[in-house]
Amino acid sequence: MAQPRVVVVGGGLAGLSATMRLAELGVTVDLLSLVPVKRSHSVCAQGGINSVNALTRQQGDSEWKHFDDTVYGGDFLQHQPPVKEMADWGPRIIDLMDRLGVPFNRTPEGFRDQRRFGGTLYKRTAFAGATTGQQLLYALDEQVRRHEVAGRVTKWEFWDFLAPVLDDTGRCRGAICQDLVSMQFRSFPADAVILASGGCGLVYGRSTMSMVCTGSAISRAYQHGAAYGNGEFIQVHPTAIPGADKLRLMSESARGEGGRVWVPRTPQDPRDPRTIPEAERCYFLEERYPKYKNLVPRDIATREIFDICTTEGLSVEKDRPCVYLDLTHLPRQELDRKLHGILEIYEKFQGVDPRDVPMKIFPAVHYSMGGLWVDYQRSATGGMEEGSPRNHQTSIPGLYAVGECDYQYHGANRLGANSLLSCIFSGLFCASGVIAGSQSSKRTAAEESSRLFDAALRREQDRHEALLGRRGSGDNPYQIHQELGALMTRVATVVRRNEQLSAAYDEVCALEDRWRRCAVSDTGNWTNQNVVFTKSLGDMFPLAKIILIGALQRDECRGAHFKPAFAVPGLQATDEAARRREAEEWCDRFASNTARWLKSTVARPGADGHPQIAYEDVDTSLIPPRPRLYGLVGADLIEEVWRERQQASEARVGGTGVGSGRPLAATS
Amino acid sequence: MIAPNHAADSAPAADEGREIRVRILRQDAPGQESYWERHAVPYEPNMNVISVLQRIAAGARSADGRPVAPVTWDCNCLEEVCGSCTMLINGRTRMACSALVDRLLEEQPEEIELRPMSKFPVVRDLVVDRRRLFRGLERVKAWVPVDDSYDHGPGPRISPEEQEDAYPLSTCMSCGCCLEACPQYTKIEPVRREGETGEAFAERRQGAFDRGFVGAHAVSQAMLFNAHPTGKMIADERLEALTSAGGIQMCGNAQNCVAVCPKAIPLTRSIARAGRAATVWAIKRLFDR
Amino acid sequence: MNVSTDESAAASFLGRNQFLIYRLFSLSGLVPVGGFLAVHLLTNASILGGAESFQGRVDLIHSLGALLVPVEIALIFLPILFHATVGFMIIAGGLPNVGSYPYAGNIRYTLQRATGMIAFAFIVWHLIHLHWLGAPVRGNALPGFDPHHASSTLAVAMGSMVMNLLYAIGMLSAVYHFANGLWSLGITWGLWTSPAAMRRANWVSVVVGAVLAAAGLGSLIGVRRVDVEAARAMEGRREEMRRMLEGEVPLPSARMMETAVEPRAVESPRTGT
Repeated sequence: MAQPRVVVVGGGLAGLSATMRLAELGVTVDLLSLVPVKRSHSVCAQGGINSVNALTRQQGDSEWKHFDDTVYGGDFLQHQPPVKEMADWGPRIIDLMDRLGVPFNRTPEGFRDQRRFGGTLYKRTAFAGATTGQQLLYALDEQVRRHEVAGRVTKWEFWDFLAPVLDDTGRCRGAICQDLVSMQFRSFPADAVILASGGCGLVYGRSTMSMVCTGSAISRAYQHGAAYGNGEFIQVHPTAIPGADKLRLMSESARGEGGRVWVPRTPQDPRDPRTIPEAERCYFLEERYPKYKNLVPRDIATREIFDICTTEGLSVEKDRPCVYLDLTHLPRQELDRKLHGILEIYEKFQGVDPRDVPMKIFPAVHYSMGGLWVDYQRSATGGMEEGSPRNHQTSIPGLYAVGECDYQYHGANRLGANSLLSCIFSGLFCASGVIAGSQSSKRTAAEESSRLFDAALRREQDRHEALLGRRGSGDNPYQIHQELGALMTRVATVVRRNEQLSAAYDEVCALEDRWRRCAVSDTGNWTNQNVVFTKSLGDMFPLAKIILIGALQRDECRGAHFKPAFAVPGLQATDEAARRREAEEWCDRFASNTARWLKSTVARPGADGHPQIAYEDVDTSLIPPRPRLYGLVGADLIEEVWRERQQASEARVGGTGVGSGRPLAATS
Repeated sequence: MIAPNHAADSAPAADEGREIRVRILRQDAPGQESYWERHAVPYEPNMNVISVLQRIAAGARSADGRPVAPVTWDCNCLEEVCGSCTMLINGRTRMACSALVDRLLEEQPEEIELRPMSKFPVVRDLVVDRRRLFRGLERVKAWVPVDDSYDHGPGPRISPEEQEDAYPLSTCMSCGCCLEACPQYTKIEPVRREGETGEAFAERRQGAFDRGFVGAHAVSQAMLFNAHPTGKMIADERLEALTSAGGIQMCGNAQNCVAVCPKAIPLTRSIARAGRAATVWAIKRLFDR
Repeated sequence: MNVSTDESAAASFLGRNQFLIYRLFSLSGLVPVGGFLAVHLLTNASILGGAESFQGRVDLIHSLGALLVPVEIALIFLPILFHATVGFMIIAGGLPNVGSYPYAGNIRYTLQRATGMIAFAFIVWHLIHLHWLGAPVRGNALPGFDPHHASSTLAVAMGSMVMNLLYAIGMLSAVYHFANGLWSLGITWGLWTSPAAMRRANWVSVVVGAVLAAAGLGSLIGVRRVDVEAARAMEGRREEMRRMLEGEVPLPSARMMETAVEPRAVESPRTGT
């Protein structure tokens, strides 16, 4: 059989690594991207990439601990075999990127330097200045360019993925795409389509994400039947620079290198922060989390910063919530060597040198843990079976998802510097399975009848024409987008309340109605960004609904999903026996909550336009779920009680059970 | 891509009613006449050119209230790492995201002037076609020629000094500022002939690109990879490219590249190093022949 | 400017050898053209030491005799012509933008081109004005330069203020072009690569430029200081000496010393060698 042809949508880390590996395996790749691939959003990743390494290994670290930190940090909401596989691949991936020429920072002896990131106690993070994502992306971009010159890859830059083409068996046979310059449509017959289109931050209006992160590609796949997992889990990064057009990320590496978060103990202390004495500063993360200090997992840091500004009223400024992120105690030269990129961003956009003056930062929507539901094949060793066509396949056969746009690796909360790893890993790893899957299909895409593609193409053309031809209500798509963003930011970020979520769901439906009636102001057919944006705005509503309904139905707190109404407080009692009893109760409650809620949310498009939610059991066969106790009052005692219970149950069962296949749970 | 957002922060009273006047050089499509159009948007503190353009796109009206097609421009990351939003702002090439309105108004209080880059063919309005820039990276083989992406252990040991030398070069985001400001880099805009196939045209265009000046960014990338222990295994191929038509010799040492580079990449150092390498290489080749 | 998308045979040749041609261009600016400029200006400056010292230097050059013309053609005229031809091609291919980017380096780049063009125009004029090559063009309209009567003929030729100004502009252009070209050449060939080294090299070229400019301006002043009558007398004496040494006239005697001030030396200066 002829070598397969694969379409890759998205040229960030995941898309490029998939393309590189596929091209290497002799596959002809059509790589589509909204922007030149070198300009993909991966460039914004700053801090680094995680993996166990020679140094941490000697301090007791291992792949298993990386795996454990990842699932613990993610509150156990991820199937464990793929995560284990990723952690196992970590060292190899860093080595590979090193070989590709990524200028990782070096120790005096010439080894890769490492820094500490959130959610771990090891210095596991390799980094290249404070622009690690950019550096990794460039290395992959260069390799793909090499394959392009050799004729194995064709890049289609400034192209928009509009729809997967499904045959009568429901298998994906290619894609319909549009040239954003000439606005021409084209069908791309393919034996497999890999979506690597990144996150959907624009659903929140302003976020740390780039302007292409509309989520339109995954939304379109979802609207064609692909299941969507854990949509409600949206990471809000604790530290970003507020801005009118964008919230610019201030990397966790600032804290990894010793940056401290604080607020003046006097609300809105008007003094120059540098003159405020130590005693009058509240280093709230260090005080509340003595073990992890400023490097608690992101969801926790975010909530603390949010809390100290809103509930406790200790925001540095009155009109605008923010806290200090202070680097001024660190040597300038060291800062320039390790953090130059992010300090430059602060300096350029705020006009203040963060080496001299503490930065003012506040949380911002940053990453989507959720994404297209993807499958995997468990291997004999508990990892993911390489070469299986099931790996990273969405619920549509032949349609794959990798990178931020899949839901696979980060559960309820992503650890810093794990996304670069998951993107490169999933891209590389999926390739052999994609090839195996396309070879198992009876017909090749080339043999597929052109009628199938013609019909799909015409459908997209008609949609486009209809949009251009709309006689509008005078409503403006940009205005609608702004309202959507403000709404989502208000109700579906750090703190979530059911009454707000359910009201917001109705509001989103109303906004969608307004969108259906709004008209584009540019009706031309040449580089019409107006119509492209309007189209992608329309695709944000299904995602917004998935997020809201997922959040509404999940009555618990897990990772980034925090509902005060369902928060379980720490131990209150002071008397030892009472405290012990409380700990027992706490553990009971945890166990019942796990039984009820340790499930992935899986959304499918309903006929009525509303997502149909189902819940899928999570494969926790490798590491049994345990309470996530960062900084909780009475954590020690709860942990003790929990450990006793675990030991007792293990003694009973004689080892942990091993889960196998995991069909999607029926609609509940 | 555009996704305008009105700022949530409201302007302080002192700025109420103040307007920013913007003059934009527009062009509907390649080969068409360009024309100036004036716009006005309400002033807000801490605006950058992107947020001004977002408001213009959302309004889709010129300063005199005439409905116009929204202005088209390129942008993505908005934090000066993706290299998308290069344009001529008040006559100088820079990134629209990091061009803060307050500073532009200090420079030129009457109005802000926006033009597309002049060294690349205009696609529409402020969007230009920078394929030639990326072709430059292909010409100099700006990559490490690894065997494959399988596991072969770590990369070569590299001293901190080498890393600190390489890293700045590796932050080049292909924005094209260096090319725009270079007096030696001139526009190449072939027009498709009647009856010419798309492939034939693409080939002819590529030929023209390949005879034109490769540009500071590509020279610098060639030096980056020629310094890498594995990258240097094809150093000769890069020098061959750098000494062919449109190579390093085209540089006129105006040094605008380094002056306008938003990432302050030591481009002239790379150029001089390329000059040195080319000298040695050419002499060696003369004797090795 | 639009670059043609089709390649002619000539363009293809130039393209294939572009690197070599540009490097030869760069080199020729230093050796021999720049070197000649330096020697020429320093020789001229010897006029500050008096007409006799200047005449001595000129005589030294002309001691080459019949070899002088081929040497001039091979080492001076052809290299200048080559340097100028390629230079004009380079200028035609560039788009100076000092208005938008008024940075020091860019100003120098633009000046390099401007001074190159001025210097070339000046050299052509200079040849017409003073060199034997220009004799047919200038006819009798302009005084020329007689190497055997170097100072006096030069002083007459440089008599007007306008001429001095013209020479000052032309000479300073050539000096700037050379000194800045030296700095630029160092980058082109990779002699100085770091910004710090470039700054140091810049000082070297400033010093070179200053010395040559001083020499050039000094010679203009020196020429103005020449006492034409006295110079002629000196040149006459030297001419007699030369003739005697070459055996054209009998060996010296007291009588001859008296006749050395005979009217022959007051004829209008001759042109040519």
